[in-house]
Amino acid sequence: MFGFLKGLGVTLSQLPRKKVTLQYPDVMPEWPERFRGVHRFIPELCISCQQCARICPTSCISLSGARDQNKKMRIDTFDINFEICILCDLCTEVCPTEAVLMSDTFEMAKYTRDDLYLDMHWLYENELRYEKNHPERFAAAAEAVEAAAKAADEAAPKKAGDA
Amino acid sequence: MWNWQGQPLTGLHILAMLIGGVIILLMTLGVVTYTILWQRKIIGWMQGRIGPNRVGPLGLLQTTADVLKLLIKEDVVPAMADRPLFLIAPIIAFVPAFMTLAVIPFSAHHVFTANLGIGVLYYLALSAITIHGVMLGGWASNNKYALIGGMRSAAQMLSYEIPLGMSIVGVVLMAGTMNLNDIVTAQAHGWWYIIPQFLGFCIFAVASTAELNRTPFDLPEAESELVAGYHVEYTGFRFAFFMLTEYVYLFAMAGLCATLFFGGWSGPFLPGWLWYAIKVFLFITIQFWIQATMPRMRVDQLMTFSWKVLMPLALANLVITAVLKALVG
Repeated sequence: MFGFLKGLGVTLSQLPRKKVTLQYPDVMPEWPERFRGVHRFIPELCISCQQCARICPTSCISLSGARDQNKKMRIDTFDINFEICILCDLCTEVCPTEAVLMSDTFEMAKYTRDDLYLDMHWLYENELRYEKNHPERFAAAAEAVEAAAKAADEAAPKKAGDA
Repeated sequence: MWNWQGQPLTGLHILAMLIGGVIILLMTLGVVTYTILWQRKIIGWMQGRIGPNRVGPLGLLQTTADVLKLLIKEDVVPAMADRPLFLIAPIIAFVPAFMTLAVIPFSAHHVFTANLGIGVLYYLALSAITIHGVMLGGWASNNKYALIGGMRSAAQMLSYEIPLGMSIVGVVLMAGTMNLNDIVTAQAHGWWYIIPQFLGFCIFAVASTAELNRTPFDLPEAESELVAGYHVEYTGFRFAFFMLTEYVYLFAMAGLCATLFFGGWSGPFLPGWLWYAIKVFLFITIQFWIQATMPRMRVDQLMTFSWKVLMPLALANLVITAVLKALVG
């Protein structure tokens, strides 16, 4: 009998507590840096080595490239069939130049399946969007690069003096 | 015009009755709509959630949207079901639940109440018919889970009907009448019957919770064991009818509880209908509070509790009330 009242007290004490619900479309949660959303793609970095297409467990990536006048490989087309992509992150892991990366875009409800074929342009736009949404992540990376360059500059004259 | 008991029945009277019935139906639908919303809100609050808040301002149209969704769903009848019984079972369940409202005195003055001399008896007799709807629904589905769920519901509702009825008899003895209006007036000038009939009230509270199939006695809807009990096979509108039955019955039981033990519409300062609404609201809220707190009972414990605890207690209460009534006057 008293246990019963005690239980009622527990539930009643929860009544005025702060709610944990996040009002999702109005308030977005803070996505972690390694969130695996739809890919972003940087065409300048891509050397069309086909590694992402080869490792992809669902074979959703297809790409083609050609050599330019400097005999460097350049990407021509890069498509992800997002109907079957499982966001496993393997393509990102394997990419030698970090041309394909994951973003935090995930709201991809579409009315036709055709809309889920994402081409190079869409993916590059996603990259731009990601950069715009997370300037701090890129600022940190740029700073690191700068610091490294500075350190290299400082080390270089020393070396010259030794020699 | 409203007093049609002393005069011959005319067309105008029938029209007035029809209008009264429609008004009560609309009011009940409104009450049920916001009871369901309130249930979801308060249980959400107790669980650290917000509850429905998307449809309409503050989520006020959530239930309306749910009902609309149920109405446009397909009405599936299983191929091997007993078709006529399957179709009629939700109606058999709903009609008595709605009819019990005829004797509930909502207010002192503008009453759509039958003012029946045997109001309590009428209520108990009609609420027992709902069990038929539940059991027929379970049986006609031709589904073993539904059948077991229906049988369990029937066993439970019948078992708890007895302590419920006997706990009411205590109040009837004290008031000396079965007319619910007169029971309210008997309390208006003295104690509310929750004080002298406290044991009876406790029995009534437990038995009515079981009778309403609410937690911790919600065995008919034990989704872990029985999928969903008697209404597994029901879809769309017919399922909505079973839900409607449940909540109309909750409203009616809250009304009965307020009438029998809390002085119905009587109370100081505020108008009668408001007092009545407050009492009904509190009963319903406490039901939801218990629902958010208690786990479900086991079926054998449930039956044992009814027959071995509640019924002797109700009998004792009856005897004590009768003896005291004879001694004190």
